[in-house]
Amino acid sequence: MKVEKISRSPIAELKRHVDVIQEAFKQALIPDRVTVEYPRERRIYPDNLRGFIVLDRSKCISCFRCAQICPANAIQMSLYDNFYPGVDYTKCIFCHFCVDSCPTGALASSNLHDMAFRSLEEMKVKATQMTRLPTIVREDKQSVEYFVTKKDWKLQRKKELEDISVLRIIPRIKPRRAFCEEPESCLGCRQCMEVCPHDAIVMERCEITLGGEVIGKGCILKVTEKCVGCGLCVRQCPMQILALKEVE
Amino acid sequence: MIDEILATLMNVFRSNSMQIPLIQPIVDYLMQIPLINILVALILWRPFFAVVIMPGLAVLLLYLLYIVWFERKLTARIQWRVGPLEVARPIRGAIQALADGLRYFFQEAIVHRDAHRPYFVQLPILAFIPILLPIAFIPAGNAVGIKTPYAIQLIVAFLALIPITIIAIGWASNNRFAFVGSVREALMYVAYEIPFIIAVISMIYLYGSGDPYVAVEKQSLVPGAILNPIAFLVFLITMLMATSRLPFEIPEADQEIAFGPFVEYSGMLFGLVMVLAYEKLYIMTLLFVILFLGGWNGFYFEPLGDLNAPLCLFIKTVVVISIIAIVRSMYARYRIDQTLRYSFSWLIAFSMVALGIGVVLGWIL
Amino acid sequence: MEEIKIEVPVEPPKELETLFLPIPKDYVEDTYRKDDFLILVGPQHPGSGHMRLIVRVKGDIIQEVIPDPGYVHRSMEKLAENRLYIQNIPLVERPAIMDSANFNLGYVRAIESAMDIEVPERAKFLRTILAELCRIGTHLYDAAILAVFIGHTTGFMYPFGIRELICEALARMTGARFTSSFIIPGGVRRDVEEKTLRWVYDATFAIEKRLKSFERIFIKNPTTIARLRDVGVLSKEEAIRFGVVGPFLRASGVEYDTRIVEPYEAYEEVTWDIVTADEGDGYARFLVRVNEVSQSLGIIRQCITSMPEGRYVSEQICDDVKGNFFDKFGNLVLPAGEYTTLTEAARGTLLFTIVSDGESNVPYRVRIVTPGWLYLRGFMESLKGERLADLQAIYGSFGYFPPEADR
Repeated sequence: MKVEKISRSPIAELKRHVDVIQEAFKQALIPDRVTVEYPRERRIYPDNLRGFIVLDRSKCISCFRCAQICPANAIQMSLYDNFYPGVDYTKCIFCHFCVDSCPTGALASSNLHDMAFRSLEEMKVKATQMTRLPTIVREDKQSVEYFVTKKDWKLQRKKELEDISVLRIIPRIKPRRAFCEEPESCLGCRQCMEVCPHDAIVMERCEITLGGEVIGKGCILKVTEKCVGCGLCVRQCPMQILALKEVE
Repeated sequence: MIDEILATLMNVFRSNSMQIPLIQPIVDYLMQIPLINILVALILWRPFFAVVIMPGLAVLLLYLLYIVWFERKLTARIQWRVGPLEVARPIRGAIQALADGLRYFFQEAIVHRDAHRPYFVQLPILAFIPILLPIAFIPAGNAVGIKTPYAIQLIVAFLALIPITIIAIGWASNNRFAFVGSVREALMYVAYEIPFIIAVISMIYLYGSGDPYVAVEKQSLVPGAILNPIAFLVFLITMLMATSRLPFEIPEADQEIAFGPFVEYSGMLFGLVMVLAYEKLYIMTLLFVILFLGGWNGFYFEPLGDLNAPLCLFIKTVVVISIIAIVRSMYARYRIDQTLRYSFSWLIAFSMVALGIGVVLGWIL
Repeated sequence: MEEIKIEVPVEPPKELETLFLPIPKDYVEDTYRKDDFLILVGPQHPGSGHMRLIVRVKGDIIQEVIPDPGYVHRSMEKLAENRLYIQNIPLVERPAIMDSANFNLGYVRAIESAMDIEVPERAKFLRTILAELCRIGTHLYDAAILAVFIGHTTGFMYPFGIRELICEALARMTGARFTSSFIIPGGVRRDVEEKTLRWVYDATFAIEKRLKSFERIFIKNPTTIARLRDVGVLSKEEAIRFGVVGPFLRASGVEYDTRIVEPYEAYEEVTWDIVTADEGDGYARFLVRVNEVSQSLGIIRQCITSMPEGRYVSEQICDDVKGNFFDKFGNLVLPAGEYTTLTEAARGTLLFTIVSDGESNVPYRVRIVTPGWLYLRGFMESLKGERLADLQAIYGSFGYFPPEADR
């Protein structure tokens, strides 16, 4: 498709001048305003728009997945009764890879999109502060929504204000537990034991048999009931003999 | 001795005083107070009133505050925005220009090392002389500074002085962009001045005199815009060029030469040079209204008395400028060579046609 | 007219030596001896963007322009070598944030070609919609910058106003206004509801309606035409020789579009035209992009009406991305080899090459060749012989975006 040729005749030129003047006066009389007076009005964004990340501590299994996937290295795990993530909002780029990585739905997005902090220190949100939405000052008196039809795009202003809430989607993943696929390949290096935040892996002494004959003594790793299926040991194992398995 | 001088002054002032029935009781009361009465008489003295109050300095400042705000507001309206709002929210940010002016006033005016210091500082102030001189000759009914039958010619002559100060500003700034800007200003000056003067001359021919009173009287039935529409158009376009408004905002093009001659100014000095174009626009529009839109012909209210004519002229001027302000949001900037080509071909041709119409109509009327 | 020669001894300015300009040593002296003038436009000039242009002018006519890019160089390629494959997705979006989906798509397709992942049909259509929305957004952004470069403030505000609808459409579909990191190897991150697709469908008509206002006030504005027509002309041969890409190549009359030559995603299943022009001047380059916007709107509508049902992410990866993201993508290892994809980004051909050593979970080398870098030469050549005031007009007509070119 070729673009249309623009006529160079003075009459066409004059017509274009008239068009410009018409359009300008039309807009001056009946303006198609699209701006929002921000602190006094708040845009209603779609539910899935990524916002402040909220942590449910009861669901968190300290699996470190969020911290390890973060492309901006913004998540730091800190130790309380367990390891919990804290987001550094000086670095966060709101890709929400962490929210999508969370296997239990402990991390969730909220519809709090506009955050202002008093200092750089405050931007490093700690795990304890992530369990609830921060207290915010709301100045909005009305809310604005984009209303689009095939004819035009209009801004609908409503008196009722939008609630700020957490939108938690629980992933369809059954509880999992670590198990050892090839116990005979285990080196006995005990890295899995050291990395486990729940002390769920224990080493038991056992006798090593070969062809029904006891040839010596050794250790075998055993995953106890304490395991929450974080998978840290799976990622740590140098022989890659551990795996996660769904339990009933 | 002093009493005698005061009495003589009082006589001079009272003999040629504005008669406004609406405020007459207040004037009468103030006249009884010594020393205040001489001030009141001075203010109401017709030449003083015309130059300093209306349509002169006082309303010029009022107009500046209004037009800067209005232009931004209108542009914002066309551009789907709101415009200045936060300064005095209940009146939609109407004192934005005042706030900006105050800010300029307290800002440091930097004079850089390479500038020609005396000229750099004094030229923005000197530029007011050619702005204020025409006001002395612009009459509004009975209120007139200096009454002369060559008023229109004199106004045009004084207007022609303004670009010289701008060129000098560019030179004193000693900056590459300022230099390019002043050269552009000089080229523009040549481009618009010839059609502008020819358009004015055509109207002088039409009215048979350079006296604004004659011009306004002849327009009592039909305004000059209808008598000579081509001169009207040429005057309008040259007015945009002269005040470097948008299709011809060539000397100040901020994307190309970063505000041209005024690139080095800051603080109060920048405030002064920024309003220069607006003031020029005001003077040119006063002339425009007198030549084409019937001057102070219009309403007459008994209680306003002599104030009718200046008020009418001022309102017409402000309305015309408010309509012209829309051009800013309509057009992009032409290039300097294109502007010169249009001006030396089309505009001069049109102004010649206007001159012909003026001569013929002036001969018939 | 006879040229009069006046011998005025002019000293070349000394401060130019301290600026580390990318010019030959005696260039400044040579310029001054030949009665030319060097003007440094940028990097703090209102009409230069994040780059310095060393303009050699004779009077008002530009003789030569030497670009000095690299002011916003962020070493994307080196950074990409130290991150997981999946962590590079937000990184490669950053060169041109308005065009993020196209950049994302190019990178992800390189991974998919390495891992032989078959992308489901529905994901292909969704990706096409995202790519086209970003294309419209970029063209509007460039139109706005062009408008403000030639002094038309309304022409600046309107595209940014219309772009708000694009951002809203992207927000509804992906969850972010731009740089959404939504396209992942094997599909997209989340399924898009029917309701959202209907909204985007309606929005395309609303955009078209608003574009009519924009057309009357800026595109067909006589001053715009006067400023852009017959300036910065690149003929067909020149455009090919200087390696110009994308809409700027098509404006010179070459029918080349990666979406046609090497079709990817759903471009084969929708009907659309390559927009070309013959003139090769600034206005043709602008008009080609304006017409491409309406073509893109058409593609989006066709994609929505013929959107197939099915999976949104390949069954080779997982059933549901939510919750599995780390487990499925955190430890991607590509087989050893070199994988290259060509993508038609908004400003032209975009090349992504990933070199993998087959063992580590980070790329050995990522090569990004952005369209801005490819057409910089043509941009500089087209400036020769024009007036100094045209510099900004031609700059805007190319929509040159320094962060994209510098990477």
